[in-house]
Amino acid sequence: MSNNIANETIDHSRNKEAWTLKRVLTNTYFLNVVSLVLFFLLWDYVAKERIFHDSLARPLDVLNQIITLVSIKYAGSTLWGHIWASTQRVLIGFFIAAVIAVPLGLFMALNSYVNAIVKPLFDLFKPMPPIAWVTIAVLWFGIGETSKVFIIVIGSFVPCLLNAYNGVRLVEPELYDVIRVLGGSRRDQIFHVCFPASFPAVFAGLQISLSVAWTCVLAAELTNSRAGLGFLIKRGMDTHKPTLVLGGMLLIAAAAWLTSQGVGILEKKLCPWKRSIENL
Amino acid sequence: MNYECGCDPKLKIHCDNVSKTFIQKGNQEVPVIRNVSLDVMENEFLVVCGPGQCGKSTLLKIIAGLEIPDTGFVTLDGQPITGPGPDRGMVFQSYMLFAWKTVRDNVELGLKLRNVPANERHEIAQHYIDMVGLQGFENHYPHQLSGGMKQRVGIARAYANAPTVMLLDEPFGQLDAQTRMFMQKETARIWEQEKRTVIFVTNNIDEALFLADRIVLMEGKLPGTVKTEYVVDLPRPRDHISEALLKLRKEITDNTELVL
Ligand SMILES: Nc1ncnc2c1ncn2[C@@H]1O[C@H](COP(=O)(O)OP(=O)(O)OP(=O)(O)O)[C@@H](O)[C@H]1O
Ligand SMILES: [Mg+2]
Repeated sequence: MSNNIANETIDHSRNKEAWTLKRVLTNTYFLNVVSLVLFFLLWDYVAKERIFHDSLARPLDVLNQIITLVSIKYAGSTLWGHIWASTQRVLIGFFIAAVIAVPLGLFMALNSYVNAIVKPLFDLFKPMPPIAWVTIAVLWFGIGETSKVFIIVIGSFVPCLLNAYNGVRLVEPELYDVIRVLGGSRRDQIFHVCFPASFPAVFAGLQISLSVAWTCVLAAELTNSRAGLGFLIKRGMDTHKPTLVLGGMLLIAAAAWLTSQGVGILEKKLCPWKRSIENL
Repeated sequence: MNYECGCDPKLKIHCDNVSKTFIQKGNQEVPVIRNVSLDVMENEFLVVCGPGQCGKSTLLKIIAGLEIPDTGFVTLDGQPITGPGPDRGMVFQSYMLFAWKTVRDNVELGLKLRNVPANERHEIAQHYIDMVGLQGFENHYPHQLSGGMKQRVGIARAYANAPTVMLLDEPFGQLDAQTRMFMQKETARIWEQEKRTVIFVTNNIDEALFLADRIVLMEGKLPGTVKTEYVVDLPRPRDHISEALLKLRKEITDNTELVL
C-alpha cells in the first residue's frame, strides 16, 4: 500500500547543477544585489552631481549621520530614544486598534444585527483619511502622547476590521456543511471553520494596519513632537540637513520593517498551515 | 447481488417522490430534481450515474440532510430524515478538507465534536488513516498532499465517524485517469473490508460499472429524474475491461442517448 503512495508524494528535492555563467546571471540573489548596488550608485551619482542642489545627501554621508546620532544625544534623546518613542506609539495604537477592530469585524460578519448597527457608522468614517484627524486630535487631547496614539488607532482600525470581516465572508460555505455532516453545532462551525479560515485574512489586515500606523505616527510627529523619528525628520528640514531627513526616512523604513517581521513571525506561529507566500 | 448472507436484504434508505426547486438570482425557479424515488438496501453499493448538472449533488445533499426537499421525504431505517447526522458520512466533490488541520486532526474531527476521549480518538483515526494508506502522513497539512491523497483523507474522515451510510459525491472527479482508477480499486477494497451502505455519485459509466452492485441512471437535463436501473451482478474484484463488464456497458450505453 505505502509504496503506491510514494509516487503521489510531491517531490521537493532540488537538482544540483554546476555553476554556469547563465545560472549566476539568472540567480535571484545575484539580481537582488545588482539591483541594490545600481540603486545606490545612481543615488550617489545624482547627489554628487548636485542635480537637486544641496537637498540630496550622498549615501555615505547619511550613514555617517546615523552613526553620529548613535553616539550623541539629539534634542535630549539618544537615537534609540527617538526610535523607541515612535515605535512605542505605533505599537500601543496598533494594539488598541487590533484588539477592538478584529473581534468587531468577526462579529459583524457572523451576526447580521451587529452588522446592521456598526456598518453605517463604519462606512461613514471609512473614507476619511486618518491624517485628517491630526488637528482635531490635538484640539481634543492636546499635544501629548494621547493625540498621537489616537490618530494611529483611527488609522489602523479600518484595515483590521475590513479584513476580519471579509475573511469570514469569504469562507467556503461547504466547509460549514462538513461540520454539520460530522454532527457539529453552530458553535463548532464558528470555532473549527470560521475563525481559523479567516486567520490569514486577519493577518493580512494586521500587516496593512501596521504600515498605516507608521504613516500616522509620522504625520503626528511631523505636526508636533519633541521626540521620535518624525521629529528628527522635521528637525532636519527646519535646520536644512538633508542627511538627517534621509537618515530619519531610512530608520523609519527599518523600524517599520522590523515590526512587520514581528507580526509575520506571530502569524507563522499561529497559522503553521499557511503556505509561505514570497513577500514582494 | 453480492449480499453477505442469504437472508432478505434490509431496506436502509428510502427516497419517496423527492423534488427540489431552487430559487436563483432574479427570483428564477430552477427545478433541480423531480419525483425521485429510490430504495437502497443495507450494505449495498449503489452508484448514481448521470451527466453534469442533473441534480446529483442535490439528491445526495437531501439524503445527507443538508437540503430539505420541497416535496416527498427520505427515510433512514424507517425514520424520516430531518437534518444531517453522524449516521451518514459524506465525501465531498471538492475534498473540503480543513486546511488548518493536519491529516490526523481532519480525520479525528467528527469524533472530537462528539467528545470522544483523545486516546480513543487517536486509535480510531489511526485505523482509518492506515486503511486509506496514509500512514506516515498523519502530521501533514492538506496543501502538502496530492489530489488523490487529499481525497483519501476525505474518505478516512467520513469513515472515522462510524456512519452506517457513506455518501460519496464524485469523489474522484478531480483526479487524473490513472489515480482515479487506482482510487476505484481502493474504494472497492475498503468497502469489502468495512461493509457500509454506500451511495456513490459519478458521471463516469466505467467507474459505476467497476464499483456498483446496482446503477441508477439519472437523466441529463433539469429537473433530474431517475431513469433506469441496472443490477451489476459481477464478481469482485472486477476488471475494467472484462468481457462481462463491457457487455453490460454496451447494453447501458445502447439504451440511453446520454454520453456517459
Ligand atoms: N444552493 C443552491 N442554490 C441555487 N441553485 C442551486 C443550488 N445548488 C444547486 N443549484 C443548481 O442546481 C443545479 C444542479 O446542481 P447539482 O450540483 O445538484 O448538479 P450535479 O449533477 O451535482 O452537477 P455536477 O456534475 O456539476 O456536480 C445547478 O444548475 C445548480 O445551479
Ligand atoms: Mg455535483
